[in-house]
Amino acid sequence: MEKAKKTTKKYSKSQWALLFMAGLGVVFLLVFNYAPMFGISLAFQSGDYVIDVRDAILNSEFVGFDNFKKFLTDPEFIDVVVNTLGLNVLSLVLTFPAPIIFALCINEVKNKRFKKVVQTVSYFPYFLSWIVFGGIVLSMLDSQTGIVNEIIVKLKLAAGPVNFGLSEYFWGLIIVTGLIKGVGWNSVIYLAAIAGIDASMYEAAEIDGANRWNKMWFITLPSILPTITVYLILAISGLLNSGFDQIWVFRNQMNLDRSEVIDTYVYKHGILKNQYSYTTAIGLLKSVIALILLTVSNAVSKKIAGRGIY
Amino acid sequence: MKRAKNLKGYSVFDRLLVVFFTLFALLMIYPVYYVFVGSFNRGLDYISGGVYLFPREFTFDNYRVVFADGGLWRAYFITVSRTILGTFTAITFTSIVAYAMSRKELPFKKIIYFINIFTMFFSGGLIPFFLLIKTLGLYDTYALYIVPCAYSVYHMIIISNFFRSLPEELREAAVLDGAGEFRILFSVAIPLSVPVIATVSLWIAIGHWNSYFDAMVYTSSEGLVTLQFYLMKLINSQNVNVGAITLPASVTENLTAEVVTFATIVVSILPVMFIFPFISKYFEKGIMMGSIKG
Repeated sequence: MEKAKKTTKKYSKSQWALLFMAGLGVVFLLVFNYAPMFGISLAFQSGDYVIDVRDAILNSEFVGFDNFKKFLTDPEFIDVVVNTLGLNVLSLVLTFPAPIIFALCINEVKNKRFKKVVQTVSYFPYFLSWIVFGGIVLSMLDSQTGIVNEIIVKLKLAAGPVNFGLSEYFWGLIIVTGLIKGVGWNSVIYLAAIAGIDASMYEAAEIDGANRWNKMWFITLPSILPTITVYLILAISGLLNSGFDQIWVFRNQMNLDRSEVIDTYVYKHGILKNQYSYTTAIGLLKSVIALILLTVSNAVSKKIAGRGIY
Repeated sequence: MKRAKNLKGYSVFDRLLVVFFTLFALLMIYPVYYVFVGSFNRGLDYISGGVYLFPREFTFDNYRVVFADGGLWRAYFITVSRTILGTFTAITFTSIVAYAMSRKELPFKKIIYFINIFTMFFSGGLIPFFLLIKTLGLYDTYALYIVPCAYSVYHMIIISNFFRSLPEELREAAVLDGAGEFRILFSVAIPLSVPVIATVSLWIAIGHWNSYFDAMVYTSSEGLVTLQFYLMKLINSQNVNVGAITLPASVTENLTAEVVTFATIVVSILPVMFIFPFISKYFEKGIMMGSIKG
């Protein structure tokens, strides 16, 4: 009796309440995030085409790394990996700096009202779904009725209307539309960082005779560097994550060889063809590589810039 | 060059910036304007091209077809209801956890924090999650749109950071009045955190409004089709869904899938367009608050 009382006394009533509240989150994560991790065992089993999940996990045979081997020797493997990495590395290189440049430039605009309007308008495409935005872009690119092809033909940029549905345009489409849709919104975080810079630094620099460029280069940019680092690390760890929504909208029968990425491949073979074990293995491979990328880029950042995200 | 400098202290660079950003802003707006114009144009006429700035053969017929499309309204209802219900559930649930995580005296705080953070960096992948949804019996149910979206670690961290910045004295006053933790959360912490609660709610709401992946992967019945999923099928099918209403031949002869799809797109983004000017400033504020932790 005495002992039981002591253990309940260990925490106050309000601490128990807090524990309950935080516990709700833990229970949620255990169900929706940790329970699926047990399903990873499927990656090492022969559970393809098994309808009942419990049956697949409990009763199917262990096959070691066979599922991984199957993926590595699949004729589509090279294309899928090249598309995933190529597309993501290219869009990282091209679209990562864009919001930073946008933020630095819009920060130089003197007219406050004009700045505000441009900023607000720049967020707009972000709030449209990829279905809507992509659908509109495809109409604008249409070879007969689209404005883009009209401009191309009028300015004689090409021999005739361009069919943007072909493979060779797919990566370009993804990168350009990603840029347009995200640049304004992604700049907000950098603008927030710029807003937090101590104004006295600029005043001191002005007294020392610094011009606009000096201030941008020696004060603004170094001040937002920590923010840039954090987002760069996160972007690198997401290198295998394609924007499924975006790719799904722009892909068609003609550009499959350039539009099939890991995420669409897993969807196609896993969800549509019930190859659960095979695609779980691919998903696992992806998760592990993402974790490695995160750890490595964080370590590199800590070494070079002296800071990481954890 | 010199003359430009004399103009109210605006240098060439300043003027270039204004020109650039004006063009940029037009580029941001134009796609939606384009679809708007097309949606008011007659279908057969649209095919001949050149409808970029104003409708050439003006008509409401495309909208007549859209308004009579029962499938669209059912999808609209699903999306509106899941957005309201899903946002309310998620913001309540996430705030409760965020409140506990913002308190220093929470027992096992380090372990609980780790359990949360780990999920941001590692996941079981699509297929195990799909199998979980099936096992839980959530597959092809309406609850699928609400329950798995009820909690997000990222949102929890943002709200939790804000709660931490609230003055401690207010809480002490509430404790003296005999309030428990839930009372303090709902009558002190949340009312004082309206900006961040509003921002995160809007993020969640936009996510619900725009999602189609969950409908495509985890449902199979017609009755659960969401607005975006409906649009996707419409865009892919390239068919005119005249359905329930009977239109005069002069109208149907003129209809094409493309302009009807345009009208459907316009109808689907109207709520976002109306709300956007009022909410955009909140979004910005929210990101700034979330970024304080760096």
